[in-house]
Amino acid sequence: MPTSAERALRAPVLLPRRLPLRWRIAIAFALVSLTITGLLAAVTWQLASDFLVDKRVQGATVQAALDVRLVQNALRTPGVGGVDSLLTGLAGGQNATVAVRNDGAWTTSGRSLDPASLPDDLVALAATGTPARQRIVAGGIPVLAIALPLPIPDGVYVELAPLTELDSTLRFLSAVLVVGVGVSGLLGLSLGGWAGNRALRPLIDLRDAAARVAAGDLSARLPEYADADLAPLAATFNRTTADLDRRVRRDARFAADVSHELRSPLTTLINAVAVLRRRRAELPPTAQQALDLLDADIHRFQRMVTDLLEISRDEHLDERDLEICGVDDIVRHAVAERPGVTLELPPAVPPARVDRRRLDRVIVNLLDNADHHAGGAVRVGVDTANGAIRIEVDDAGPGVPVDMRHEVFERFARGGSAGRRDGAGGTGLGLALVARHVHAHHGRIWIEDSPAGGARVVVEIPMAPRDDT
Amino acid sequence: MASMTDDLPSARPLLPGGGQRDRVLLVDDDDRIRRALSLALDDEGFAVSTAASGEDALTGLARDSVDLVLLDLMLPGVDGLTVCRQLRAQGDLPIIIITARTDSVDVIDGLEAGADDYVTKPIVAGELAARIRALLRRRRPGTNATHLRVGDIDISPDEGRVRSLGGGGTEVHLTRTEFRLLVELVAADGRVVTREDLLRRVWGYDYLGDTRLLDVHIRRLRRKIEPDPDEPTLIVTVRGAGYRAKSRTDADER
Repeated sequence: MPTSAERALRAPVLLPRRLPLRWRIAIAFALVSLTITGLLAAVTWQLASDFLVDKRVQGATVQAALDVRLVQNALRTPGVGGVDSLLTGLAGGQNATVAVRNDGAWTTSGRSLDPASLPDDLVALAATGTPARQRIVAGGIPVLAIALPLPIPDGVYVELAPLTELDSTLRFLSAVLVVGVGVSGLLGLSLGGWAGNRALRPLIDLRDAAARVAAGDLSARLPEYADADLAPLAATFNRTTADLDRRVRRDARFAADVSHELRSPLTTLINAVAVLRRRRAELPPTAQQALDLLDADIHRFQRMVTDLLEISRDEHLDERDLEICGVDDIVRHAVAERPGVTLELPPAVPPARVDRRRLDRVIVNLLDNADHHAGGAVRVGVDTANGAIRIEVDDAGPGVPVDMRHEVFERFARGGSAGRRDGAGGTGLGLALVARHVHAHHGRIWIEDSPAGGARVVVEIPMAPRDDT
Repeated sequence: MASMTDDLPSARPLLPGGGQRDRVLLVDDDDRIRRALSLALDDEGFAVSTAASGEDALTGLARDSVDLVLLDLMLPGVDGLTVCRQLRAQGDLPIIIITARTDSVDVIDGLEAGADDYVTKPIVAGELAARIRALLRRRRPGTNATHLRVGDIDISPDEGRVRSLGGGGTEVHLTRTEFRLLVELVAADGRVVTREDLLRRVWGYDYLGDTRLLDVHIRRLRRKIEPDPDEPTLIVTVRGAGYRAKSRTDADER
C-alpha cells in the first residue's frame, strides 16, 4: 500500500502506469492530435453541410416557385397540351417528381410516386395556403418535398427534388473527414512514439550501460551528449564507472603484485626447507619439530600464494587454453586418488569445451573443501541437465545453512570451522576460486542439501556446441 | 662477475652409483634463489652451475658444456628470450624456462623462442627435477623400426636424424623434444595420438600437461617439416582428440 506521502507525490494518472513511458507519450500525442483534428472536422462538417443543404433547398424552392406559376397559368388557360404535358415537361430533366392535387385527385409525373406516401401535415399545410417543405425519403431516395398551394379548390402542388447528389457529396465529405481524423491520430501516435524514443534514448543508453556495469563489464560508457540537460548525467555516469573500473583493477593488480613478489622468497624458502627435510634425521629432536612446523606452513603459504595469484588473474578464459574434452575423464582422475568417494557416471557424457586445468582445479578444490570442512566427500555424480553437464559433490558434513550458501563462495569465507588454521586447512580461497572458474566457463554453481543429509555442491558447465565436437 | 661454479656447495662430479651427474646451468638474477635451488637440485642429483645474467650464461656456456639450461626470462641486460633464441640457434641444448607469470603471453613467447618446457615460480626442486629428468631421458621411442616415413620426411630413430627427401636429402634440424614428438606421432602409423599421451610420453606430465606447451611445439615442428605450415598435411589436428601423422596408406589415397 502506498503511503499518503507517496500518493501525494504521484502526478495525476491519465494513463495506466503499467504502460512503458514511451507508449504513454505516444498515446498522449495521439489523443491530442485526435481531439484537435476531430474538432476541426466537426466544425468543417457543420459549416459545409449547412451551406450545401441551404443552397440546395434555396435552389429547389426557387425552382418550385417558378414551376407552380407555370402550373397556375396552365390551369387558368385549359386547352393546349393541358396540365399533364406541362407536368411531364417540368418533371423531365432533373429526375424530379411533380404532383398536382386537383379537387382530391392526384396527377403525378416524373418518377412514380404514391401520393398517399406524402406526409399528411405537409399537404394539409399547403392546402390551407401555406407553402411548406420537408426532407423525406420517397421511392427509396432522399428528396426535398416542397408543397405549394394552388388557386383551385383543394389544390396542392408538390414537387419532390432529389437530394441524392447532395447526399453523396455529404457522405464523401464525412468520409474524408473521418479518414483525416483517423490518419491524424495515427500520425500523432507515431510522432509521439518517435519523440518518446528520441527523448528516452539517453535514458535507454543509460539503462543499457548500467546493465552492462551490473553484469560486470566496467568498460561500459555513455556517449558524450551535446545537450546541456544530458551532458552532466553522462559525465557523472562515465566518471563513476571509470573510478570503479580503476579501483577494481587496482585491487586485482595489488593482489597479483603481492603474490608475485612473494614468489621469489617463497622459492628460496621451499627449496631451503627441502634441503633441511632431506637431512631431518641429522637434526636434534627440537629442531626436527621446528622443521616440521616450518615445512607444513611453507606449503600452506605456497598454496595460498598460488591461489591468490590465480584468483587475481584475469577472469576471462584464454581461447588457447580451451579444448574439447570429457568432463567424466577429469572427474574420474580427480576422484581416483580418494578411496572413500563413490563415483556415479552415466554411460556417456557429452564433451565440453573447457580449460582442463581450471576444471580439474574446480573438482579437486571441491573435494579438498569437503575434506577440510565437512568430513570428506562421499559421492561425486556426473549427469547432464538442460544442455549442461552437471557435477555433484556430496559431503558427509552437517550441510550448509540456507543463509550461508552464497557466502561460502566469498574469499576467505570459513564457514562452520571459522578460526581453524591447522596444517590441513584450506587457504580460504578454494571455493572462491571454484566459483570464479565455473563462471569463467559460463557455468553455474550452487549448494543444496544432499539426500544423504550433507551438503551437495552442484556445478553446471555448458556442453560444447554440436558442430564443435 | 662470478664464475659459473662459484655457488656450488660441493663438487661431486659422480653419482654414488658411479654414473655421470647431469650438468644443469641455472640462470637467475636472484642470488638467494640461485643458492637455494642449487642446494636442492644438488640433493636431487644434478651438478648445478649458476649464472646471474644473460651475458654470464652465454660466456659460461661457451666455456663449459652442460646438459640442460634453466633460464629465468626476466634477466637484467640480455634478457631470457634473447638468450633462449641464441642458444637455440647454436644447437638443441634442452632449455627449461622459469617464469614468474602464468600468463599465456610469457609462456608462449618463451616456447616460441625455442624452450622445451617451462616452470613457474615458486619452483619446487622435486617437481623441477622431474621435468629435467623427463627432458634428458633418452628413452627409445615406442618403435623398433629403423626408418620411419611421413610424406617426404625420413626419420632414423636410432641415429636421431631427420632428412627431407624432397629437399634432396637435406637434414632437418629438430630439437630433441621436437624429434621425440615427431617420432611418437609417426610411429602411431596414422592413428590419432591424444594430447594427454603426447604430454606424458614426450614431457613426462602424468596428467594435466599444459596444452599450450604441446600447441607451440606442434607449431614449431610443422614449421620445420610441413611444405606449407599454415595448411598442414603431414601432422593434422583432430579436434577434440589430438593429432595424427599421415600414414603410408593415406599417401596412397592421395
